[in-house]
Amino acid sequence: MIAALQPDRQAMMMTLRMGVSVVAAIAVSSILLAAGGFDLQLVYEEILRQSLGSPFAIKNSLIEAVPITLVGLGVAVAFRAGIFNLGGEGQIYMGALAAIGVALGFSGLPGPLLICLTLIAGIIGGALWGGVAGALRSRLGLSEIITTIMLNFIAFWIVSYLVRGPIQDPNSAGYPYTAEIPGRSQLPIVGDLIPTGFLIAVIASAVAWVLLERTKTGIGIKSLGSGEAAGRFAGFRVEMVGFGVMLIAGAMSGLAGAVALLGGGDGRLSDFFSPGWGFIGVMTALIGRGSPIGTLLAGLFVGFLTNGISGAQGTAGVPNSVAQMLLGLFVLFLIISNTDFFVRLAESARASLAGSRPRRGKATV
Amino acid sequence: MSELLDIFASTALYATAVRLALPIFFAALGETFAERAGLVNVGLEGMMLMGAFAGVVGSHYTGDPWLGAAIGIFAGMLVAAIQALVAINLAGDQIVSGIALNIAVLGITSYLARTIWEGGDVPSVNGFDSITMPGFSEIPFFGPVIFEQSVLVYLAIALAAVSWWLLFKKPWGLRLRACGEDPRSADSLGIPVFRIRWQSMMICGALAGLGGVFLSLGQLFTFSDNMSGGRGFIALAVVIIARWSPIRAIAAAVLFGLFEALALRVQVTDINVPPELMLALPYLVTLFVYAGLVGRTRPPKSLGREYSRG
Repeated sequence: MIAALQPDRQAMMMTLRMGVSVVAAIAVSSILLAAGGFDLQLVYEEILRQSLGSPFAIKNSLIEAVPITLVGLGVAVAFRAGIFNLGGEGQIYMGALAAIGVALGFSGLPGPLLICLTLIAGIIGGALWGGVAGALRSRLGLSEIITTIMLNFIAFWIVSYLVRGPIQDPNSAGYPYTAEIPGRSQLPIVGDLIPTGFLIAVIASAVAWVLLERTKTGIGIKSLGSGEAAGRFAGFRVEMVGFGVMLIAGAMSGLAGAVALLGGGDGRLSDFFSPGWGFIGVMTALIGRGSPIGTLLAGLFVGFLTNGISGAQGTAGVPNSVAQMLLGLFVLFLIISNTDFFVRLAESARASLAGSRPRRGKATV
Repeated sequence: MSELLDIFASTALYATAVRLALPIFFAALGETFAERAGLVNVGLEGMMLMGAFAGVVGSHYTGDPWLGAAIGIFAGMLVAAIQALVAINLAGDQIVSGIALNIAVLGITSYLARTIWEGGDVPSVNGFDSITMPGFSEIPFFGPVIFEQSVLVYLAIALAAVSWWLLFKKPWGLRLRACGEDPRSADSLGIPVFRIRWQSMMICGALAGLGGVFLSLGQLFTFSDNMSGGRGFIALAVVIIARWSPIRAIAAAVLFGLFEALALRVQVTDINVPPELMLALPYLVTLFVYAGLVGRTRPPKSLGREYSRG
């Protein structure tokens, strides 16, 4: 059994599984790409070039990695409490909505102050939206899997309405987006390479790590993850922990929305603001195995991949959908290899080789 | 105000509601089987999308919507097989694998649509026209609402009844529900838990695929990227609101369809409500109904928990 393996052996197994899953996902995608008439060498060269090939490419990949990582961190913290935050998408929109309100409403403030206020607004906006799901779970026992998804749609339509009405850019010629954020609220790029947003994501991972590993709240979160009874036995008010975790998850996603507004794209809020960061964040947290540091690394990987492919769309004609395909397959292979199924299979093979009968049971069929 | 009353008085509203509810209902019915057997299937959305896509591809190449539908259903089952493998045999995380499946299917279908049809320009294919049942369609109200719909409406009603009978009147249904309540006890009584869970997930994939087929071949006669548009997720909510009953699933799906139809209808009147806010309404209503059912929803006891022998 995997649980009985030595820690270093376990880490080795995990690395192996990651590698195997990446290779398998690339293999399947390659078959599909080749069937579509793409020159594989050109495609992969372009993806690498567009994600890593120049300081400009690296900067863009980092910008792409930020919202995914931040959402993923929130998902990871909630995941440790056994709670699924599938509401990243809605929380991003609500965070970005609060952020654009502050960025446009207080545009006269000095840059650094304005940036801080805008980020805080994003955090609050996201936390409120996550908190709704948290409260519904803690007070009424509603499954956050359902409520967060419903809240995603509601947030989307609210923003969709606002950017077509009350907060639409008067000079947008009818396009559904807000006015641009003031120039001084844009997040600077350090040394033309490192976006400030990325530094924020690194700090957020550190905060999440400290929270989980070095505070009493972290113990509460993890004990809730081992079951409500365990959490209660450990002396925690599990309802409050569950609610708090959704607040944190929402805050992280809201921050993602604010940072994406100030440090990516075109500095406007629209109803096509997020290209699915909410669910990609869930995958990122899973690839990162629910740990903040792992999520940061996974976010980098996903960011470089997505940016590489969207760059290769222009140069090699690779559709953007290939990113979703690769990512989805990668995570699927990761889950498939992430069980003791194969260990059991190997055991029964060894047993049959040794002449004894393999363990019977449908479990391994 | 009187305009709003006019909308509620028009049979067109209810006919639209039924039409919008159908794909959601099929998926929800499938999910009811899976969840009754103890499996949470967040991959419902992906199964619908794959069904919608494969249905169009099938109808395009064969020219026969029935063959297209069969291919769409099969494709839904194919996606379900992956989910079943992970959730049942590998005891992996069902929710995460469902989300991964959704994203993978979204990517694969969009990519393939672009590969098959230059630039993703999916042509119109043969689909299912609505069939008017002679005689029945002249019944006031129920005529146009139920009897002037695509042939799949009749299928939906029949399937709900059959599902109820299978789940609650047949020994197989009892065994299936036992797998969802307490798989270990079920296993010790000789019930083949793994096989029954596989069956439930295959039914789920087939019905979700059918729901997707209805979207593409029953309504729009073509495919567009992400055309399931979150209906799989709504079906998940419908299952809970229907409290895991196939019959109540009709009502829950129609309730959602009704508010969506209302949002669409209001847009073509003088009523001054922003259409986007109206479109948020079905989700808000779903949330409120779910909250209102507190204490009355009791999911299968082992829902979402992996089971391994040993």
